[in-house]
Amino acid sequence: MILARFAAVTVAALALAGPAAAACAHPRASLTFLEGQIMCPTCHTTLDQSDAPAAQRIKAYIQMRIDECATTQQIKSELVANFGAGILAAPTHKGLDLLAWWLPLGGVILGAGLLALGVWRWSHAREPFAAAAGGPALNGKPSPELDPETERRLDELLAKLE
Amino acid sequence: MRSLKLTGQLVALAAVAGLLGLLVWRLTHQSHPPRLGAPAPSFSLRRIDGAGTLDLASLHGKAVVLNFWASWCVPCKGEAAMLEQAWKQYRSQGVVFLGVDYHDVTSDARTFLTHHGITYPTVQDGSGAVGDRYGLTGVPETYFIDRNGRLVGAHVVGTITNQVSSFHKGIEAALHS
Repeated sequence: MILARFAAVTVAALALAGPAAAACAHPRASLTFLEGQIMCPTCHTTLDQSDAPAAQRIKAYIQMRIDECATTQQIKSELVANFGAGILAAPTHKGLDLLAWWLPLGGVILGAGLLALGVWRWSHAREPFAAAAGGPALNGKPSPELDPETERRLDELLAKLE
Repeated sequence: MRSLKLTGQLVALAAVAGLLGLLVWRLTHQSHPPRLGAPAPSFSLRRIDGAGTLDLASLHGKAVVLNFWASWCVPCKGEAAMLEQAWKQYRSQGVVFLGVDYHDVTSDARTFLTHHGITYPTVQDGSGAVGDRYGLTGVPETYFIDRNGRLVGAHVVGTITNQVSSFHKGIEAALHS
């Protein structure tokens, strides 16, 4: 009797688990991954940070589509068709959305370039003073000789001081 | 070297001007909730109770009760039966009830319509853009539009079941203003 019950429970469990565990032709999409990629439309955070009713329903929809072997891209496309592009946490890599990716990078590169130029100009502007003072130039070259007239006047001044 | 400096200054000025332009654009394009008596914000949305789209302009000349709802909204379930009943009561007087499903999964919305036996037309505002133009603060909310396409009566925030008098006043205002 107990054996028969055990067999019935096992058969029922296998029947229920069968469709969910059925193998897909490709690796299954991940709910955890998609929760970080999809926004909750009512609370404007990603799904993994939201327990809002709308977010719960979208999570349930994603899980249902994962169980049906839909790919990550398919699920994303369906959600965009349903909710608009704003449902994606990150902009796409197409059209004007590319600006969102490249503009900050361009800004950083431009800023770094301007900073480097500023430092270069600042360091070269100091060089003549260093040379005129008779000290070693910043680039390591020997300082130029003083012209004879300047040298004579400098000697006179030093003699007066002594 | 001097021209380089000038170019740098021009680039910086252009960047600041661009940012200022963005700020002005944002401020001037902020959506403000429409006032009573103002034209109801127009829209054309996909129907979820059938095929094709429905344009609000196509209902010009009729009084419209515009109900924003979502299948995930618990209070919306509570008012669904009353809305359907009111639709059956007022449709002979030329009132059109129009459901706008807000930020919802289409399949869930269709299940909701079937489960609650909703027979009036329903469209989907998946992105929430239309709701934003109406100044929606949540769901459910119900607006009233007269035959000239103007917003009339105070819109009902929350369930109509708790504000029956306001709901019927809104419909009367849409019919007779």
